[in-house]
Amino acid sequence: MRVTDKIISAIDRKLERFDPLWQAEHGVGGQRSRYRDKTGVAKWREWRGVKDTFYDYTQWLNNLVSMAGMVASAPVPILKGFWEYRWMGSYLGTFLFIDRLFEGYRGEELRIAHMNMHAIVQSLTKRIAFILANDRRFGGGSETDNCIPHDETITPLFLKGFKGLHPIPLQTLPEFIICDIDQHIEPYYIDVAESFGLPADVCSRCAAETGVALDDAFPLLGRVMLSTNMPCNASESTSMFQRRRIGLPDNPITLAMQHQNPEAIPYSRKELENALAFVEEHYGVKYDWDELFKYARLMNEQNTIELEKWDLFKTPYSPLSGIAESLYRLYSWQSVNGQDEYFNRVDRRVIEIMRRCYEEKYRPFGGRTRHRAFLWGPSAVYYTDFPTWTQNCWGITIVLNMDSTMGYNMIDTTDPDKAMDDLTAFTQRACMRHHAVGGWENINAVWDWARSFNCDMVLMNDNIACNGMLGVHAMMEEQARELGFHFIFIEHDLQDSRTVSRQDMRNCVNNYMSVVLNEKPLDPTIVEFDDSEAY
Amino acid sequence: MKDLKHLITFENLLQDAQNELVTKALGEGKLALGYNCYYIPEPLLNLPGCFSSRLRAPRCTSTDVAGYYMTNRTCPYARSILERAIEGGYNYLSALFGAESCATMERMEEHFELLHPVKNERFFSTILDPPMKGDANNLEYYKVQLRKNILLPLQAHFGVDISDGAIRSAIDDHNAVSRVIEAIGAHRRADNPNLTGYEFHVIQLVSQVCPHALILPLLQETLEELKTREPEPGFPFRARVALVGSEIDDPDFTRLIESCGAMVVADRYCFGSFPGREQIEIRAGESAFDAVCRHYLHWNQCARFMDGMKIEQRTEEVRRLVREFKADGIIYENMKFCEFWSYEKVLQNHIFTNELRIPCCTIEKEYALGAAGQLRTRFQAFIESLEIKHIQGGERT
Amino acid sequence: MGKIVVFLLKMLGKLALAALILFVATFTLYITNAENKLIYYVVRPFLNRHYDAQVRDRRIV
Repeated sequence: MRVTDKIISAIDRKLERFDPLWQAEHGVGGQRSRYRDKTGVAKWREWRGVKDTFYDYTQWLNNLVSMAGMVASAPVPILKGFWEYRWMGSYLGTFLFIDRLFEGYRGEELRIAHMNMHAIVQSLTKRIAFILANDRRFGGGSETDNCIPHDETITPLFLKGFKGLHPIPLQTLPEFIICDIDQHIEPYYIDVAESFGLPADVCSRCAAETGVALDDAFPLLGRVMLSTNMPCNASESTSMFQRRRIGLPDNPITLAMQHQNPEAIPYSRKELENALAFVEEHYGVKYDWDELFKYARLMNEQNTIELEKWDLFKTPYSPLSGIAESLYRLYSWQSVNGQDEYFNRVDRRVIEIMRRCYEEKYRPFGGRTRHRAFLWGPSAVYYTDFPTWTQNCWGITIVLNMDSTMGYNMIDTTDPDKAMDDLTAFTQRACMRHHAVGGWENINAVWDWARSFNCDMVLMNDNIACNGMLGVHAMMEEQARELGFHFIFIEHDLQDSRTVSRQDMRNCVNNYMSVVLNEKPLDPTIVEFDDSEAY
Repeated sequence: MKDLKHLITFENLLQDAQNELVTKALGEGKLALGYNCYYIPEPLLNLPGCFSSRLRAPRCTSTDVAGYYMTNRTCPYARSILERAIEGGYNYLSALFGAESCATMERMEEHFELLHPVKNERFFSTILDPPMKGDANNLEYYKVQLRKNILLPLQAHFGVDISDGAIRSAIDDHNAVSRVIEAIGAHRRADNPNLTGYEFHVIQLVSQVCPHALILPLLQETLEELKTREPEPGFPFRARVALVGSEIDDPDFTRLIESCGAMVVADRYCFGSFPGREQIEIRAGESAFDAVCRHYLHWNQCARFMDGMKIEQRTEEVRRLVREFKADGIIYENMKFCEFWSYEKVLQNHIFTNELRIPCCTIEKEYALGAAGQLRTRFQAFIESLEIKHIQGGERT
Repeated sequence: MGKIVVFLLKMLGKLALAALILFVATFTLYITNAENKLIYYVVRPFLNRHYDAQVRDRRIV
């Protein structure tokens, strides 16, 4: 043992009583002990031992530098953005967000989580700066007319054959990502939509998007917009409002709902081709396949690594799981989609760590995992740290999330014809719709997934306004019983934390774990607590 | 007005999915083919040896069992259909042709395969993936879907003749029924119609739930009767409204509106005649199947269509009905938990009220007519506002 | 030569001191969660007051 290790070890022993994991284990506190009630603001940051605290600190600095870089790159538009858009204010909660996502993380779990998170932060900060610097509302910029605003559930990769144009997922900044960060932001926009007579029983995500449109809070970019029928009924409907309010020529890309059928590919392919022709017509640019192949190669590499990760997820030695896995996959697949090589570099580093952990038979989370769960159905966006909580409170590791199973097919990078078919299959398997709609087989696939990932438990997200998922309620429960899985419905309202609070969601798990399984929590301070005023 | 001769017969035919005429057709060895949605073209279910049966769940007041399967937070129409299926109300069906026109409908139709609620050995069901735009690509996809999910299974399971000639004959049958319904419905255009909205609703419904060959003579007789039927001495209603919305298959809902003082002069909803009873034209060089697909894609007014052309068509169609049937206002309905119509009514309410200056009232309802008191209050207030507008000399658009 | 070494050492010392001060300052900020407290209790309430006072162009078209 080196001297430094000895010193660190001595300090760790001295300060271990501040470590919430140690506190919980010794019955003298836990994760919640350091919080101010309700607020989600901790009195001090989590003490994770010298090495991990220092690593967490460096990553905090790293993210801080990215944010400073964002402001420095476009100071005036950023300030105007904060002043104009309510949702921009919510981005100030990013540090609280990151802290709560990785509570209880140590060692390799923490390292990988931060690598993934920083990839998102550096990408998102650049994107915010770019969008605001080119927002027509603030006078526009040199790239305003070169942006292609598209629905966030359309994968941008197929648009990368347009050299010099920038696909911009329209709803990601004001609606999707920000709801991850701040549970109180979307209810404002939902209320705006409802004030126009929209019933409260529709999907809150689409109601929020509608509210953003009606509140005139979308950044204004581009010459056209590409809407889509994905993922579901309400998102089809909300695009009517976005089209009218934003006022750009719109080309709805309506991909086959029953995407597993052979006839889906020719139909959906034509939809994508029509969209490309629409862009060519309005922007006066030609599609360049070599340009597309460049980005497709990056996406293929990411998917190749992803498939290897899945093999490692099947073992008990994966330091990547829970929200560190799903948030990264969601962002890197749906939003980045091969456009940023930084993500490839992160993937290469992460897979190296994962391979090493497998060889060393590394036990993540200090070996405190009791159950391996597959998370199925669209997750509550306002409770992104739910998987972290299941891990810390009950030792339930979320091995994989439904939305991580999005398009993982490879895209041909030599033949445009084959590439188009591959892109179609890829695009059809988008976030929230690959399994949630389009037929029974898609949703019923959960058992095969859960079994092949060696899970004993399925946590079924039960969005109270998701018609696609509600319609199979009892069948799923009956199947779980028949196949011998522990099965818990996690009731939530996707983006409206007022209807089903985070504590209500936790209670779904608490009740099952304590009443059905008769288990004791790992950390009693987080079984029941009030975080209603937290971001 | 004097009662229509067959009105009570028609009303009785709506009391059960398997009504007297359905039973009679089954006795003649015909196959009953169920469907729920306009995306399933009626003529394709009326090929030789078959008859179409649009599914309703009359008198369904509780959906406890369906609620267990689909929760009570889903469309009450879909739940009621499933409930009725589980109760054994659709055992007469040989097939159900579904459409993933909305997620709940699709889930409900899936349960016909998962639970096997239809106790008929020959029964099978399919669910098609319906198009969402009115362009050429979507028309092609629609054709592929209809062939794959309706024609080929009918041929494979029951040996049904799906030739061009058979489809032409089904189109003729459809056009014959539609001509009569259209002619009956045209009576509502008069300043003082000799037909109420309720009566027409009943007539339109029986044309959808009964075998055409058996109901057509009664409909023709009713049309003849209407030619000489005397209206009330003066227009007995305080206003005229167009009813727009989703799966309204309960004539009592129309009666409720009319009891509040507004005649329902146009029925632009899923079970209504707009669209539904237009003539199918086979163009030169076109196959009968292609004509059916083109016709149904063109006339489909479903709120799920996303392209600008179809959205505008929806507005224009309602505007045309208001103009042609001299409606004073529009009632937009959506079934509880129906996302498409929830959004549609907000947008169209805005367009009609603020852009086209046609008064509009929006309501949300259950499938079974509960909470009638609340709806009555809404309708009365709306009708009063129409009346005041009249008194103040407001012009019709 | 000696002067250069002394100069470099002094520079190095100053840099180390600056780095230490920077580390102590940022680490204190980090461990006390100060930036989040500032944002939660001061900045966001201020911004929210501004957002609540905004007159939005709220309409369908």
